[in-house]
Amino acid sequence: MEALIYASGGVVIVTILAVVYYLTHESKYAYERKFDYGYRVALQPVSGQYEKDLSLDPYATLVTANKEGLDGLDEKEETVPMPTLEELSGGATFGTGTPLSGDLAKVDPSKLYRDDWRAQKPANVGQRFLVFGFATPEYKSDKMAIAWAPDASFNSELAPFDLHLRLVRAPSSVTVQPIDIDLKRQPEGRMELPSYVATSDEARTEGYVFALEATPTSSTAAAVSGGIFRSEWDPTGSYPKFGFVPLLMGTFLITLLAILFASPFAIATAVYLSESAPSRVREWVKPVIELLASVPTVVLGYFGLMLVAPFLQNTLAKAVGMDSGRALLTTSLIMAVLLIPTITSVAEDALRAVPQSMRDGGEALGLTLKERLRKIVLPAAKGGLTAAILLGMARAIGETMIVWILGGGAPLLPTFHGVKDTVGNLMKPVTAAPDTVAREMGNVDFQGVHYGHLFLLGLTLFVLTLVINIVGYRLGRRNAWQS
Amino acid sequence: MIETATSTPVVIGVRGLNVFYGEKQALKNISAEIHEKKVTTLIGPSGCGKSTFLRTLNRMNDRIEGIRIEGDIQIAGEDPYAKGADLLALRRRVGMVFQKPNPFPMTIYENVAMGPKMHYGLRGKQLDEVVEEALREAALWDEVKDDFRKKNGLNLSGGQQQRLCIARMLAVRPEIILMDEPCSALDPISTAKVEELIGQLSGAHTLLVVTHNLQQAERISDYTAFFMFGELVEHGHSKAIFTDPVHRSTQDYVSGRFG
Ligand SMILES: Nc1ncnc2c1ncn2[C@@H]1O[C@H](COP(=O)(O)OP(=O)(O)OP(=O)(O)O)[C@@H](O)[C@H]1O
Ligand SMILES: [Mg+2]
Repeated sequence: MEALIYASGGVVIVTILAVVYYLTHESKYAYERKFDYGYRVALQPVSGQYEKDLSLDPYATLVTANKEGLDGLDEKEETVPMPTLEELSGGATFGTGTPLSGDLAKVDPSKLYRDDWRAQKPANVGQRFLVFGFATPEYKSDKMAIAWAPDASFNSELAPFDLHLRLVRAPSSVTVQPIDIDLKRQPEGRMELPSYVATSDEARTEGYVFALEATPTSSTAAAVSGGIFRSEWDPTGSYPKFGFVPLLMGTFLITLLAILFASPFAIATAVYLSESAPSRVREWVKPVIELLASVPTVVLGYFGLMLVAPFLQNTLAKAVGMDSGRALLTTSLIMAVLLIPTITSVAEDALRAVPQSMRDGGEALGLTLKERLRKIVLPAAKGGLTAAILLGMARAIGETMIVWILGGGAPLLPTFHGVKDTVGNLMKPVTAAPDTVAREMGNVDFQGVHYGHLFLLGLTLFVLTLVINIVGYRLGRRNAWQS
Repeated sequence: MIETATSTPVVIGVRGLNVFYGEKQALKNISAEIHEKKVTTLIGPSGCGKSTFLRTLNRMNDRIEGIRIEGDIQIAGEDPYAKGADLLALRRRVGMVFQKPNPFPMTIYENVAMGPKMHYGLRGKQLDEVVEEALREAALWDEVKDDFRKKNGLNLSGGQQQRLCIARMLAVRPEIILMDEPCSALDPISTAKVEELIGQLSGAHTLLVVTHNLQQAERISDYTAFFMFGELVEHGHSKAIFTDPVHRSTQDYVSGRFG
């Protein structure tokens, strides 16, 4: 018997440790984050027709890649060599370049490859892109300019690293001031340059050389972990955002509302059961309530979806507007149904743990049942009642299925512009942390950044519920009369 | 039962009392008269019904399921079980102290103030005076006067807690005081304090004290009632009970041969 107790205790402890280790271990992939940036740099004819949106420019600069710096290239592009002057004549015109990791001295002009003019590189490797600029002979009478603009999906202001466009080398035939543009300050622009005409294919690489450089800053390191404090969760965008705020906000809102809905019922039931229910009633009601706690949450969830959600939508749609029955209100209500048994059961135990002698003392003094409750029993059971609510909270925080089925899956950041708007939050879809982990875990790259963040989110939830459970357990044990 | 020239008026009268817990009969046809401003101790082996008797007197058994009470009880001329009986008045008249100290989870002051506040609507200075007086009477004042407004009653020692409960009871100014083994959880020094207190109270109050300590019963009481198997075997002057009991079983019990 004793051996069995030790064995099961051991299994529990080992399991907890293993879970913590596993969550922590896999979370580290969240920190192996590389920041992509999308930037376009183009050499353009000043007089030519060009579109402000560089991607539409028919004369868009060809950026080519040196073999050493292929990281940024698609496979297809690697095989397309940098066009010769002949190939360029009669059509596309100015400039060309190459992204590469090394320095200028290592550039082998014979191994320049054509790239899209987009530079999408991990920023925290400190790699730089080189852009070679020249004009074809047809444009020798025209002036040239360098233009730059961010990709539509890239917001350089948010980028947690420095981004510069620098002139690395000017052609020997011209004199120009040094150029160093801080792209975070000036994300978009165009600058005229003295013309450089490549008269031979060799001369293509002897003209202007610009470098697009992303350098990590202290905020890069901060953003790797600090990124989770952002208010946007967009793990699949081209510049994914892993802010935990909307998910934890969803968890917080659902938990708060569910506790608010459930606690009064649960505590009232617990008080009735412990203080005034005949033992026949109690012996019957308590198991039934505890049975409710064992209803699979997927059943509760679909019950909510089939019955409660349409009902709420039909009744509330006209009054306050509700696009879908899947909303914060529905989720919290069904969550409250889930919590009632847990809270009732623990609260009832807490109330029954208050010694009868205290009630006797109150009765002998002439206090009525209600007064005894208010002045003696409830204050005495305060710790246990708080524990009951905390355990309910932990349950709500970890609950996955109900939120998945009823939440609607969209992050909710509540707004509070007046009463109507505040109430309106209840009618909006919501997503929380656990259902996000469950939903997205199946579709992530194994041990990728997204994967790492899901584990980090799981770890956060685990720690949160563990702390709440421990606090609840301690409060529940520390009864006033046992001090 | 036994009347003498010095006996005081009867304040509690019990006639033909039967108490059942479900099928089980805990008190069997008890009749007794308790004299005013005297100390009566209830003795008897465990489970003989002493606590049941005490609790039945001031109707402390409403919460017990399946209890059945037959017979007639008069406390200061009132039947606590009569329809429309004024329970609050009964509680004012009858105070009770329990075996296990049971202070409420609040400050010492609030513990003592609860009764007078509720029963007499006392507030402010008047209430403060009553609280202090009760704490003095219960011999607790000197120990707690510095922090009785802040300190939680539960943070006192066991003996102090019991004196706090006595103060709480006294603050309501009851005429009749029921004590169910008030010293059984206390050390000898605290016990002595409570005994002394009982002595002081006896002049102005009627006391019924359950005890398992026969020396204590002999020391503190004027009358003693001996219970066994739910029956009141013998009831009379303590001196007589302890030195010259009528019944064989009483003799056995008080001489320690039994129970
Ligand atoms: N609430 C109750 N429900 C059922 N039976 C009870 C209840 N309270 C007491 N009894 C029973 O009634 C009988 C008398 O109990 P009571 O507590 O009055 O004895 P007592 O003389 O005070 O004993 P002790 O000296 O141990 O305190 C016992 O047999 C007990 O088991
Ligand atoms: Mg007893």
